[in-house]
This record gives sequence, structure tokens and C-alpha cells, in this order.
Amino acid sequence: MRPFHPQYILEALPQLILYLPVTAAIVIGTVFFGSLLGILLAAGRIRRGRVGRAFANLYIYVIRCVPSIVLLFLVYYGLPEFLNVFGVNINDAGKGFFVITTFSLLFSASMAEVFRSAYEAVDRGQREAAVSIGLTEFQAFYRIVLPQCVRVAIPNFTNALVNLMKEGSLAYTIGLIDIMGKGQLLIGQNHGSYSLEIYLALFFLYWGLTLMVEKGAGIWERHLTPTKQERGGVRKCN
Amino acid sequence: MQLDTQFMLTTFLHVLQGIPVTLTIVMVTLLVSAPLGFLMAVSKSGEGKIGRRIIAGYVSLIRGTPVVLQILFLYSLLPTALNYWIKEVLGLSYNIFTLNPIFYAYVVFILNTTAVLSEVFRSALSTVNKGQLEAALSIGMSAPQAYVRIIIPQALVSALPNLCNTTVNLLKSTSLAFMMTVKDITAIAKIDASFGYNYLEAYLVIFAVYIFLCSAVQGVFHLTERGAAAYKKPAVS
Repeated sequence: MRPFHPQYILEALPQLILYLPVTAAIVIGTVFFGSLLGILLAAGRIRRGRVGRAFANLYIYVIRCVPSIVLLFLVYYGLPEFLNVFGVNINDAGKGFFVITTFSLLFSASMAEVFRSAYEAVDRGQREAAVSIGLTEFQAFYRIVLPQCVRVAIPNFTNALVNLMKEGSLAYTIGLIDIMGKGQLLIGQNHGSYSLEIYLALFFLYWGLTLMVEKGAGIWERHLTPTKQERGGVRKCN
Repeated sequence: MQLDTQFMLTTFLHVLQGIPVTLTIVMVTLLVSAPLGFLMAVSKSGEGKIGRRIIAGYVSLIRGTPVVLQILFLYSLLPTALNYWIKEVLGLSYNIFTLNPIFYAYVVFILNTTAVLSEVFRSALSTVNKGQLEAALSIGMSAPQAYVRIIIPQALVSALPNLCNTTVNLLKSTSLAFMMTVKDITAIAKIDASFGYNYLEAYLVIFAVYIFLCSAVQGVFHLTERGAAAYKKPAVS
């Protein structure tokens, strides 16, 4: 059995933490672009238009069926060639570009569902009441409907975010150096030894990140819940 | 952009040989994880405080970390640890390194899926009124009888959509089994691609195969859902 040095976990942690900003940047970039795309998809499903709805449904169905690693490699190998047809050259784009593109495509599908269910959870009467007391359409959406949607969306959004963070660890397979990639580099530098210690350090990091995100989401959700009764007891949204 | 269609066809035929491997991993994992996850879900609502803590910690750890990491960790831990255990502790001469790597895939995915399923079953069990169990026990059924005949058929209806999700996710994560040198769909296509650097075509083939498999899984669950919910419909006279 290979020797196991627990103290190496502590040695590896600070080196891995240095690359947390990369992981965070990937997640933030993906959340931004994925949400934009997700809004479009959700609108496609909510609106009446048949073509839009069919497209959104097909997109979400296909994305749901594809393993992230397959999509990651498809984008990594396929996108440059595909864009080349239109005369666009992205062969020099960084690894981060491909990673964010891939995970935005994946994340948008889950975000579309988050947005749709949040939108449908808020009663129509809320908008009608707001408009009837003289708010403009925009005001009614921004001040009345949106805050309620956000609260309903938080648990699902958190789930999607945690999944994204975990799937994001696959980015190392195309050579991006985030915490996972750095871990692999460290193992390489040590000629394969200390791999258990480094993986354990990564376990702690990812687990900690997940717990932090979930905790933060819980606080945010409670902050947005208006009455004390609802805060303590069962949430009354459908 | 040119796609080598001849290559795609031969790779597709090769990849078909990987489908049984992928499906075997999925089936074995589900068959082992379902009872384990169910036991966890039942004992989570039980009394033992320490047991509940351990289960909660296990579920949180598994669900809070990436599958890739679990694969890499166990695949670098298990073979050497088992080798040590067999040679030094048990004193046998069995060479663990000749073991089919699919067993490591089973271990990883069973650990993972059990945690997910325990949550699925817990929420499904909570949809069945407590009175149902009490009523079943009061008319003289044993606890296993009450679960098998009364609770599970009702809980199954609300568990099935989540079970379908879990199965689809499991199917997708098996694409990472190539990291443990299991020759599944992804591994076969990657090997084919590496001869002529036809990665794009190979991944398009895998893409199509996964959409097909995933649709099949969803179709099966759709039919099962209809069957399981049959008791809710009024009886036809």
C-alpha cells in the first residue's frame, strides 16, 4: 500500500485555493450567458408562438440527454470548424471560452426551467392588481412580479448552480487550469504520488463550496420572505 | 467543414458494442442502489440519531462533490488498497490488477446513486400519509408486508419522475467510466477517433447514441408511470 501523508492535504490546499478565482470566473461567466439564453428559452416556452416553443422544447430535450463531457468535446473540436465555415476564426480563443460556451449551453436548459416555473408560480392577479392601481407594465413587472419570482426561483437556481460547479470540474479534460486542473498538475509534478491527498483536498474544496452556496441561498431566500410566519413554517407557494 | 461520414458509420457500428456495457453499469447500479437507498430513506425517518447523522453526512458529501473527482479518487485508491488487503491481510495470491475495471465503475456509481436515491425515496415516502402505515400495522401486517403492499405502491407514483431523472443522470455519468479504462460507448469512440484525429465525428456519434439511449430510458419510465398510477384511476366495471 502506498504511504499516505495527511499533512500533504494541508500543503496542497493553499496551492489549489490560488485557482479558485478561475473556477469562480467560469461559474460566473456561465451563469451570466446561460441565464441570458435561458430567458430566451423560457420565453419560447411561455409565449404562444408554435415555432419558438417547439424549438425550446427540442433544445431542452437534447441538452438533457447529452453528457457534459461529450458536449464539452463537441464544442472544443467542433465550434472552431463550424465557425470557420462562416469565415470566423476562433482557433486562438482561450480554453475558458470553450468551457464557458459549453456550460452556458448546458446551464441555459436548466435555467429555462427555473425561469418558467418561477414565472408560472406567481399569480396573474398580481400583475393585474399592480396595473390597476396605476403602475406601468414595466413597474408592475419590476416591482411586483419579479421579486416574487426571484424568491420562488432560489431553490431551483441553487440546485442548478451547484450542478454547474460540479460539472465545471470537467473543464480540466480540455486543459483548463482551475482547481481541478491544478490538482491534476500537482499530481503530475509529483509523478503520480500524493494523488489521494490532492483528491481529498479537492473533495474538501468542492464540498465546502457547495455547502457555502447552499447556506448563502438559504439566507437569501429567508431575507426575501416577507412575513415571520412564512419564514418559520412551511412555504406557501405552489 | 467536412465530416468523414465513412468514419462515422464504422465508429457507429463499433460504438454499438459499447451500449451493453453502458446499460450493464446502469442496471447493476440501479439494482444495488435502489434497496440501499430505500433502507437509508427509511432509517433517515427512524429514531437513531447517530445513524441519521452519518447518512446525512454521506449524502451531503456525495452530492456536494463532482463525480469525476469521486471516480479519480476511488480509482487511485481502490486497486492498491485492495491489493494490499488481499496480499498482506488475507494472504491470498489473487492478482487484483487483473480484475475487470467495470467493478470499480460499479462501486463509484453505486456510491453516488445510493445517495441520490435515498433523497428521492425519502421525499416519495413523505408523500404517503403516516396513517397508511399505522392502519396496515393495526390490521396485523408485519412492517415489511406493510411497506411492500401498502406504502411502496403509493410512494412509487411520486418517485417515478425523480427515478427517471436519476437514471438519465446516471446514464450520462457513465460516459466518464472511460477514465477507469472501462470500454463503454465513449471509450470506444475515443479510441477510434485517436487513430486519425477524427474527434469531432466521434463525438457526434456519441452525441446521437446518448440521445437515443436517453429517449429509450424516458420512454420506459413513461410507460411504467402509466402502469404505476393505474390504481388511482376508477376501476372499469
